[in-house]
Amino acid sequence: MSAVTTSENFHKEKTQSELECQDLGYSYVKSRMIYEHISLKTYENELVAIVGPTGCGKSTLIRNLGYLTPPTTGKVFLDGKEVSKPSSKISLIHQSIATFPWMTALENVKLSLISKKIEPEEANRIASEMLELVGLKGFGDYYPKEMSGGMRQKIAIARALAASPEILLMDEPFVHLDELTATGMRKEVYDLVFNPETSLKSAVLVSHNLQEVVQLADRVYVMNGTPATIVEEVKIDIPRPRSQREPVFFNYVDRLYDHLSSSLKQ
Amino acid sequence: MDITIIALATVATIGRILLLMLLSVLSGWALAYLAVKSRSFENAYVPLVNVMESIPVIAFLPVVLLIFIQGIGGALGVEVAVDFLVFDAVSWNIWIGAYQAFKTVPEHLLEVSENYSLSFGRRMLKLYIPHSIPRVISNLFSSFADAFFYITVSEVFTVGVNTYQTFGIGTLIALFTRQGDIINVYYSLACIAVGVIAVTMLLTTMSRHSVAKYSVDSTLEIIHRSPASRRFRAIDVFRSRTRYISRYARRITHPTRRGRFEGEAGAPTPIRHLLTVAAKSLTFCMGIVVLVYLVYSSLMIAFAVPGDTWRTFLTSTPYLLYSMGADYLRVLVVTAAAFGVAISIGYVLATHHRASLMLAPVVQAVSAFPAPAYFPLVFIATYPFFTATLPAAYSTEIYVFTLGFLSCFYYIFFDFWIGVQAIPTQFWEVMHNYELGWRSRMRRIILPGTFPYLVTGLSSTINSAWAGIEIGEFWPNIDGTHSLEVRDGMMKYIGVNMASGHVENAAWVSLIFAIVVAIYGIVFTRNLMDLARKKYVVEEGVYAA
Repeated sequence: MSAVTTSENFHKEKTQSELECQDLGYSYVKSRMIYEHISLKTYENELVAIVGPTGCGKSTLIRNLGYLTPPTTGKVFLDGKEVSKPSSKISLIHQSIATFPWMTALENVKLSLISKKIEPEEANRIASEMLELVGLKGFGDYYPKEMSGGMRQKIAIARALAASPEILLMDEPFVHLDELTATGMRKEVYDLVFNPETSLKSAVLVSHNLQEVVQLADRVYVMNGTPATIVEEVKIDIPRPRSQREPVFFNYVDRLYDHLSSSLKQ
Repeated sequence: MDITIIALATVATIGRILLLMLLSVLSGWALAYLAVKSRSFENAYVPLVNVMESIPVIAFLPVVLLIFIQGIGGALGVEVAVDFLVFDAVSWNIWIGAYQAFKTVPEHLLEVSENYSLSFGRRMLKLYIPHSIPRVISNLFSSFADAFFYITVSEVFTVGVNTYQTFGIGTLIALFTRQGDIINVYYSLACIAVGVIAVTMLLTTMSRHSVAKYSVDSTLEIIHRSPASRRFRAIDVFRSRTRYISRYARRITHPTRRGRFEGEAGAPTPIRHLLTVAAKSLTFCMGIVVLVYLVYSSLMIAFAVPGDTWRTFLTSTPYLLYSMGADYLRVLVVTAAAFGVAISIGYVLATHHRASLMLAPVVQAVSAFPAPAYFPLVFIATYPFFTATLPAAYSTEIYVFTLGFLSCFYYIFFDFWIGVQAIPTQFWEVMHNYELGWRSRMRRIILPGTFPYLVTGLSSTINSAWAGIEIGEFWPNIDGTHSLEVRDGMMKYIGVNMASGHVENAAWVSLIFAIVVAIYGIVFTRNLMDLARKKYVVEEGVYAA
């Protein structure tokens, strides 16, 4: 009996998407679609990546998913309910790190708690916890200007996590960091995404870096064409922790590269 | 009179104003650069501009008479005198805006220019000027409005028994008003309305272009070149400037290009170093010469004043300070109202493009309509109602408030409007993402994010409120039978003494006022800009290492 229940739960877990979009399309001008017919899903405890050539609309797509930019066509669903406006349940981490220069690190993090109308002491506690979680304990009173790029990005991540999101959207969050910092941050972000202390259920990552994608993602959607569509969905089936030195890792990178380059040739 | 003449006069006035605005911008950039490079120049410049901005246009009439009318003489002298008065109306806020924009150039861009030893010309063309474009353009709205506000006292003015005038709509309105030709006054106002709306639409388009192009990741889309947009050649020139900045930035991050670039710019040469030292020494010497001249002139004037007059000055000073306090209270109320209007309507206009297309020309038209020309009509229409419902002192204060408000609200309004548009996209996304309400957005992001713009706007609003208040506090025979006159007020004191020929009393209170304004300039404007530079540069909030 219990085995049946487990199987049902497993089945349910894999068919009940957390974030889903159907037939998304976007255009700046009516006559020219940037991308169209985009449908994708994320499941619980899954990190989904979107890759594609420059200009195919990845950053716009991720904003469509959070409804920060409403799509021209199609719908977005969170837990099966249609999304019609931005919500802190879907938090975005920007490519260009956005921290407010007149706020301390702690105040920057507390910003995402304002709409939740919680007591100031509680907000302080949550924000401090999140700063600690991203490794910025003791930096609460620092201004972003006094911190490095990596530390600023950590503030942005702590701010996103403090909002108790179900979905974390990441738009090339490591692109401005040096390789050493970026490697450390990738691991930290992955640990955070699947940390039981956070409310996160799933994450979507946009990236140009195929090694980064294979390192982090469970599934990868490849965008390409004009207007762009999803040309391939690749499941990354490598046990964690993943090592970039393993042949299977390179196979996946090559496979993604082939999908991108073959579409470009077409 | 033929409507064609009225139309031509409107075109002449608008052309004059636009040319003088251009002159203000060019001179403003040069002075702003000196101010950010030399702390001693800055210490003199900021209070001086504040004082000059606070002095109403008509206070310059004696200077104009002496230097231009008598010095140059003839039609040219009158034209130059009029140009000087219009320049006085348009220049100060542009100068302050340029200074404040130069003062808040992002640190990393400054480092780029310093790193590669850009010359003065390159630094101006590729960094300072492009960065200042949004704020300068936001001030063009206010300057244009201010020029029209005073057009009836700038294009035609009377000193003693002589009246001097030049061709323009201000002169015609003054002429029609004197002749009681109300129909032609209406025609003139209609022509002004058409001109103002046309220029406002031009400025609105320019402001959107400038914010889209020169602000860091603003929400506005950059409008790409089309046959229609090619008309804005000047904008295209400015666009090309920022391309240089990004090109330099790219070169820094691109090692293979670095060598060639270093070869071009090179390290500071001995000649360049010598020129820099010479320029600094020259500025210092000029400052000393001006200071010595001012001290000498002041002493000469002080010794020339009889002892009895000094005693009169000193005994009247407590009352004058009280009157100044009353006027500062009026300025405070006007500024608070202007601030409230700016952050409510300005926010709506900045966040709703269609609303801005419709309402911005309306706001601009209201601000640019010469209030002294139409205010008697407002007085005639409302006076019976106010006398029936309010004590005389209250109704007078309402009129003074209205004139004060009309003379200055647009400064902070347009500055805030442009400032909101310049907030980076990422910040808006954070606000949307975390579902911040209007109050939270205002308090935590929009007001701090527009802080440098608000300082510019508030500074100009406070300084310019005096002019409207001056007109309202003492206006004899406003409608032919009644006079507008407050009980106590420094501006009334100046007006009464000027009218009765006691110029020395007006000069004494003006001196005290100038000292107060200079202190305000240092304490308020400069310190707040220092704070803005230190903490509230919105462009530094978006980090792309």
